[in-house]
Amino acid sequence: MRELFVREIHILLIHPIYLICMVVMPLFVTFFFTSLMEEGVPTDIPIGIVDLDQTTTTRKLTRMVDAFQSTKVAAHYPTMAEARHAIQKNEIYGFILFPKDMTSDMLAFRQPKMSFYYSSTSMTAGSLIYKDMKTVCTLAAAGVGQGVMQAKGMTPEQIKATLQPIALDTHLIGNPWASYNIYLCFMLIPGTILLLIFLVTVYSLGIEIKFRMRRENDRDNKGWLEMAHGDFGMAIFTKILPQTIVFICVFILVYSYLFGWLHFPHPGGFWRIMLLTTLGVISAQGFGVFIFGLIPSMRMAMSVSSLWGVLSFSMAGTAFPIFAMDAPLQSISWMFPMRHYYLIYQLCILNTYPLTDVLIDIFAMLSLAFLPLLVIKRIEHAFVNYEYEP
Amino acid sequence: MKTLNAIFDAWLDELKMIVKDEGVMLFFLFLPIGYPLIYSWIYNNEVAREVPVVLIDNSHSAKSREFAQKYDASPDVCIAYRSGNMAEAKSLIGRGEAFGIIYIPHDFDKSLGRHTQAHISVYCDMSYMLAYKAIYQTATAVSSEMGSTDVAPLLFEEVPIFNVTGGYGNFIIPGVVILIIQQALLLGVGMIAGTRREKLRYGRALRDQEWKISGMIGHSLAYLMLFSVMLAWITLIVPRIFGFVSLVHGPTLFHFLVPYLLACIFFAITVSSFVRYRESVMLIVVFTSLPMLFLCGLSWPLSNISGFWQGISYAFPSTFGVRGFVRMSSMGAELADVEHEYLGLWIQTIIYFLISCTIYQLRGRFFYKNQDSTTK
Repeated sequence: MRELFVREIHILLIHPIYLICMVVMPLFVTFFFTSLMEEGVPTDIPIGIVDLDQTTTTRKLTRMVDAFQSTKVAAHYPTMAEARHAIQKNEIYGFILFPKDMTSDMLAFRQPKMSFYYSSTSMTAGSLIYKDMKTVCTLAAAGVGQGVMQAKGMTPEQIKATLQPIALDTHLIGNPWASYNIYLCFMLIPGTILLLIFLVTVYSLGIEIKFRMRRENDRDNKGWLEMAHGDFGMAIFTKILPQTIVFICVFILVYSYLFGWLHFPHPGGFWRIMLLTTLGVISAQGFGVFIFGLIPSMRMAMSVSSLWGVLSFSMAGTAFPIFAMDAPLQSISWMFPMRHYYLIYQLCILNTYPLTDVLIDIFAMLSLAFLPLLVIKRIEHAFVNYEYEP
Repeated sequence: MKTLNAIFDAWLDELKMIVKDEGVMLFFLFLPIGYPLIYSWIYNNEVAREVPVVLIDNSHSAKSREFAQKYDASPDVCIAYRSGNMAEAKSLIGRGEAFGIIYIPHDFDKSLGRHTQAHISVYCDMSYMLAYKAIYQTATAVSSEMGSTDVAPLLFEEVPIFNVTGGYGNFIIPGVVILIIQQALLLGVGMIAGTRREKLRYGRALRDQEWKISGMIGHSLAYLMLFSVMLAWITLIVPRIFGFVSLVHGPTLFHFLVPYLLACIFFAITVSSFVRYRESVMLIVVFTSLPMLFLCGLSWPLSNISGFWQGISYAFPSTFGVRGFVRMSSMGAELADVEHEYLGLWIQTIIYFLISCTIYQLRGRFFYKNQDSTTK
């Protein structure tokens, strides 16, 4: 067994593709996503103003909306059509319309109507400017009577209670800054690494068949199977094991950057993170071997693995929740390691729920890890008859 | 005439090669046809409805019951459980039966009656974005509706434009499908290039014109032919099947997608020249899909992407393609509105065309030199 282990490490070191896929790409992706979203929340999203009233009130409201965190007044437009055109040209993501004679109608109690238009074509930007513009409009409507109330002698608490009788206290658990960085990176980075694990596992198995056909085998000139003394299960296990160790180390490196350097919240603690990492890596590898066993052609198996891996990003349920998908998809989502990974992360690491709550997901991941047991014979058959189709 | 014959031969050759290779067929046919269907199916429901929430009502008053009733009435959330304490509510969330907690304190009614500000707490985890949005926005809407005074001096109206349903599928699918075309081309062309390289290593002879520019044009025509059909499927038929917003005009779409497809083809030929083994291309291309999607400015607003990454994104046709197409399809933009992207695509087409020609010339020279040396 030691010989096989050493042989595998030798293979990993010789071919640069392993280094690139196992170490360089995960680190690149980590750096990419965390630097892309380092702001946390997008700020100063450009919006437009269509001011048909041009009074001090509307200018005050414009300054107010500009001062808000998420929005920035990029330009003023003379007509609504031009503002809409600017959205189509991607110069702004929304605009506020102050109708003509708004202030004088307001003072005369004719109830004018101001409106804000927001485009959800980019959903993140759309929701953020919606929130800010709605707050401004609510404050504008409410603030009109504020001067009168102050003159009447109401205290600030009373004014607050009149303007907003029911206030909401939002407790964003785990991510109080509402940082998209924290929220998304935990799906994107492990998802990419699990995808790479699928591909590398399938690739490393397929390449054995390819090399055997070409007789480009190891320096001892012994075949892979002969070294394992005919025990194919052991052969696969010792092939996968060094990769497991490398991937776990890469994950630790990535997590020390995310948790240690960037201080992403992880109240769950170190041991749970280690458990989740190990489960993630072995379930992804197990699934990769299983796919290769089902379709012993490297090319097809890699295609299916990449399909599965890329679908995992959607099936993790972060952006669009799984419970909102159609029923067959909800069932299929159980076959994706990423889904369980994210669920365990959300419940046990971001929040501190007990592991018993996610026992079934742990069990699912272990089942995925042990799936190769079903297909060992098939891989052995493919290897012995070296059915590689170029 | 001879050139035209050469181009035709290369075109036919390439088509034969594509059809015989099942891996490439997978990428050229199944990927553009099947993936948009799969993704559209996943996001078909567009919004999250009736998100289960736990309600803790410590006030037991008419006002708190009114709040609960209005909250439950909203289509986005549903009060699945009523609990007496936080611990029980938390364990419900732990078991995955609910996604948030609404907590009404005991002095809710009293505060309202006393004309001081009453508070309602919303406990929610941002890990499932649409669930969080549903819970939080409904609470905001109900609380402001309940708290509104009889006569408001100023009314306001919120108008969502372009993505009127606020649907998730509407937002992401147009971008994803255009990116799929680029990735399918990269994968397929990369595989073919890898196969050719491996055949060379085995010493199998290749036809003369494969390494000349006429060969390259012939190959490009083959890809152009196949992918025009795919693009038509993706941009015109798929949105109509799933009911996505599709405001495209035929001629505008055609004018925009021609440079996009050409840029993708030549980009794929350029990248494929760096491929040694067939399978390596899959590893690299699949992994870059998600970063490329983010660089398009769809999920993360363009205004907030740093200059450094924006600069790098200009190398990929998908950056301009996705941006332009989303604006045309979801917002009904005209060609003049996507002028920046349109020019960018043409510039990319020209640059990558020149690079591909250079590669084919160099390769051809290398190939012919080798062949001469072996025949001697």
